[in-house]
Amino acid sequence: MSTESLKSVDQVAGDWLAQRDAGQWTENDQARLDRWLDESPLNRVAYLRLEYVWERSQRLRALGTGTRSNDPPPPGAWLFSPFFEQHPGQDVTAQEADAGARTTRRHGARHRVGMALAASVVLATVLGAIWGLWPQATAYSTPVGGIASVPLADGSKVTLNTNSQIRVAVTERERRIELEHGEAYFEVARDPKRPFVVRAGDKRIIAVGTSFSVRRNGDDVDVTVTEGRVRLEGTPTVRIQQGNRSREPAPEVLSAGTVARASDEGVLLESRPITEAQESLSWREGVLVFHDMTLADAAAEFNRYNVRKIVIDDPRAAAFHVAGSFRADNVDAFLRLLERGYPIRVEEQDDRFVLMGR
Amino acid sequence: MAESLDAWFKREILGHEAALLRYLMRVWPRKHEVDDLRQETYARVYQAARNLRPTSPRAFLFTTAHHLITDRVRRERIVSIEAVGDLEALDVSVDEITTEQRVSARQELKRLAQALDRLPPRCRTVIWLRRVEGLSQKEVAERLGVSVKAIEQQVSKGGRLLAQYMLGGEAANGNTGQVSRSSEDECEHGKP
Repeated sequence: MSTESLKSVDQVAGDWLAQRDAGQWTENDQARLDRWLDESPLNRVAYLRLEYVWERSQRLRALGTGTRSNDPPPPGAWLFSPFFEQHPGQDVTAQEADAGARTTRRHGARHRVGMALAASVVLATVLGAIWGLWPQATAYSTPVGGIASVPLADGSKVTLNTNSQIRVAVTERERRIELEHGEAYFEVARDPKRPFVVRAGDKRIIAVGTSFSVRRNGDDVDVTVTEGRVRLEGTPTVRIQQGNRSREPAPEVLSAGTVARASDEGVLLESRPITEAQESLSWREGVLVFHDMTLADAAAEFNRYNVRKIVIDDPRAAAFHVAGSFRADNVDAFLRLLERGYPIRVEEQDDRFVLMGR
Repeated sequence: MAESLDAWFKREILGHEAALLRYLMRVWPRKHEVDDLRQETYARVYQAARNLRPTSPRAFLFTTAHHLITDRVRRERIVSIEAVGDLEALDVSVDEITTEQRVSARQELKRLAQALDRLPPRCRTVIWLRRVEGLSQKEVAERLGVSVKAIEQQVSKGGRLLAQYMLGGEAANGNTGQVSRSSEDECEHGKP
């Protein structure tokens, strides 16, 4: 077989791929493709090879998240896109981190009573001391609309959602992440000797080898586990106030499919099918998935990703339920569909979209 | 069954392309035939896996390549010292599997982005609009003011080049240049 004939097989495979990608793919087209694939295993493997890479290239969408321009940027520009943004530790020193951690903690503790307050101050002091020992924690952040994937030295991986910041210190004894604000998904490399600890305010999430996401909104923390188990600590549970002698809040063990909402009042646990839990993490592909969500909540989700905010000026409209999946940065498409399907009018103002009933 | 075989093939076999190419480059004297041998190897693996899926796909892939090379050497009466030498010392260590297959999402995205950047400008613009911006081929055609057919051609070439750059790794940069050059020409011909 000559190279010439191989090239033509590759070429034909490429044409099939492109034709299928063009849309308007009929059963008849599929039948023709199937016939061609069955003609020879050479045809089939050539097609599978191209299809495989084409499917994977869907990931390229992440490069567009947060991009405003319509024209492709010049080669190499993606390196500077929000997706790959990284600030090496100079902007947040361990000292500042220490001070910051203390301040936040005291502030948060103010609302609490008696023992919980005492326990949390003790915890703050201990953690403060540990923070001081951190060897140059590295800070990573994303702007509004950005997503970033951060590989860690131990083989773990962190994916940062929009408008988020973490600090990372991986030592021989420990892997520590501070979620300053926003949301992050963690794929933890298994290493029983080095616990993987995520701190979000006064909550701590501890894993050995697993995948989970943490979303922080002030003192409230949502944890979604997609694989393995994690331990949630630092949540002042009701047990403490009922006079439990333990000085430490009782840990909660979360298994895959669990969504935990931890606030200062306690932890709310919810079990979901794992596929659903994973779906709630579709932001990693730059996509938002809504199932029967109120318009108010959906708008709030979009607003996390976009500078130009959606404002709902009508309580009736805010209560509408919406469903679907959308690109996080494509507010226009979302609003267009709303106008089409609901009695809603969108008024574009300079820095925002105002939704009103019709 | 057929579909899951396809899925198996993608998952377990195609990820080893860079290593396979490195091997073929080393043992086969006529570099321009390497892509051909690669596809022939894939086809044999696919056929064999119809009946029984090998428990160690990578080892099976390399053994298949080995047999193919042996057949060729005998049939074509070419003597490649490297080929003969390497047939004995064919090392298919399991360690390499894990390192090569466990590419993090970030690394993969980076490789994709780099592959995208290597496309000829016109091709890159089309693939960018289609893959990054998520426009349909029709929308891309409207945006660029060219025919849908022209876009389809660019997608065909772009898809092939992406596969070459993504799967082939470093090995695909040098000696398979023939395919890449001609593809780039085709891409540029698609220019309106």
